[in-house]
Amino acid sequence: MAFFKDAAELYECIGGFFKEAAKDPDMGPKIRESKLIITFEYSAPDSRITVDAKNPAAPGDFFTIITGPTDLTPDVRMSMSADIAHRFWFGKVNLVQALAKGEMKAQGPIPSILKLLPAIKPAYELYPEYLKKIGKADKLI
Amino acid sequence: MLPEYFDFYCRTRIVAGPGLAAGFGNELGRLGGSRAFIVTDRVVRDLGLLDPVVRSLAVGGLDVVGTFDDIPPNSGFGVVMQGVEACRTAGGDILIAIGGGSVLDTAKGMNIVLCLGGDIADYQGFGLINEPLRPLVAVPTTAGTGSEVTAYAVIRDDATRSKQSLVSPYLAADLAVLDPELTLGLPPALTASTGMDALTHAVEAYLSTNSKPISDGLALHACRIIARWLPAAVSSGDDLEARYQMLTASCVAGMAFSAAMVGCVHALAHALGGLFHVPHGLANALLLAGGMEYNLPAVEERLADLAAAFGVGPTGERSRDAAAAIRFVRELVARVGLPSCLREAGVPEDGLEEAAETACIDAAIYTNPREATPEELLEVLRKAF
Ligand SMILES: [Fe+2]
Repeated sequence: MAFFKDAAELYECIGGFFKEAAKDPDMGPKIRESKLIITFEYSAPDSRITVDAKNPAAPGDFFTIITGPTDLTPDVRMSMSADIAHRFWFGKVNLVQALAKGEMKAQGPIPSILKLLPAIKPAYELYPEYLKKIGKADKLI
Repeated sequence: MLPEYFDFYCRTRIVAGPGLAAGFGNELGRLGGSRAFIVTDRVVRDLGLLDPVVRSLAVGGLDVVGTFDDIPPNSGFGVVMQGVEACRTAGGDILIAIGGGSVLDTAKGMNIVLCLGGDIADYQGFGLINEPLRPLVAVPTTAGTGSEVTAYAVIRDDATRSKQSLVSPYLAADLAVLDPELTLGLPPALTASTGMDALTHAVEAYLSTNSKPISDGLALHACRIIARWLPAAVSSGDDLEARYQMLTASCVAGMAFSAAMVGCVHALAHALGGLFHVPHGLANALLLAGGMEYNLPAVEERLADLAAAFGVGPTGERSRDAAAAIRFVRELVARVGLPSCLREAGVPEDGLEEAAETACIDAAIYTNPREATPEELLEVLRKAF
């Protein structure tokens, strides 16, 4: 069974977590520094989240999170199932394998994607914490 | 530890033998296509290496409709798009690439755009090319890149001065023709540096975090052949057997690293190629021993295996074997007459820092056995300077 019953629940969990990350004094500046617009395209449920670290963000935020459609043109597009995305934020996806199996696709300059990987490492611990905080402990894996 | 998963894929039919460049005509029928477009460079053309291949094409019933030979050593996105234009104008429907790594990778890049449209820069990423492209025949004239069988095309993005990797199993050629006679005229320095590229593929594939049983076997065998035959290919360029062994080893190492990927030595070589146009094989040659040494704490056992493949082990003591493998590589570079340091290869000292930073975000770094920081890579560069 899929982790998320619909797009709204995915936006609440992953989208909400991204919005927290946008305020994170550790991860935030490094992601901002990339100056990238990254769109995550999810399937099952169909949904999308865009991270905009290029345009100015609201006060207190290092970047902007947009759930659902947007007119922004992404520099990097990552597509995967929502379940893979959920597992990814627990640090439980081997990227090389996921790409080899076709579970994940990435379009855009590979170096800029690789540059972000060390920056987002703290997320693997923060995502489960966030889920507990919003009463979604049933999503823990 | 039992691995959770591995995969291995090689779609290329490989034919090999002395004189085969003139005799592979009967291989062409099953590939489809009747209008051959040749991708090569001027050096290859001036050496007359196209002639036997053109005879094979005639036997196979193919018309040669055009040739694109304007390809520099570190080919770029712009060159790929020029090649696409030339092929479209000529109406080619099967690509015949004859040359070294730059030529082969340019042809692969052209093939993507010819089939799928758009611009070559659009295809940077992973998992974007998921269907067979046009038939591609690869005839390598150097024994190094193994590009005829790999799932990669490494092409320079002129805008960012960086080497970009395009990835898909469909990039590997449909047919690879390995004719050692085509490599007889390679000068010693080029024989040495391209041979060291092949050795670096084998070593890094074996040490990669993405290594797997099938690539391990290929990598170790390539190490055995190269250790045994590279010095002869360099010192006696007309030794057909040495040439045959090196061309084969380059292909075997290509299959190994296509599946296992590479590591920090290639990441650094890509950076030095992109920033300062250091020839790829030479950069690898100058950094391989240092890269092995850097990775030693993570992969001592694997390095010790390499000593046996190189014929300098086993001694019964694994740490001594690992050190012997590194020493063997260092001595081999000197033995084949290559420059001994990056300074001699034209790298500016004040460029090392930028190279280390660039290497840290090169696709090749991701499967290095140690998670490398820019500071650590700078140290590897400094030691090789
Ligand atoms: Fe290479």
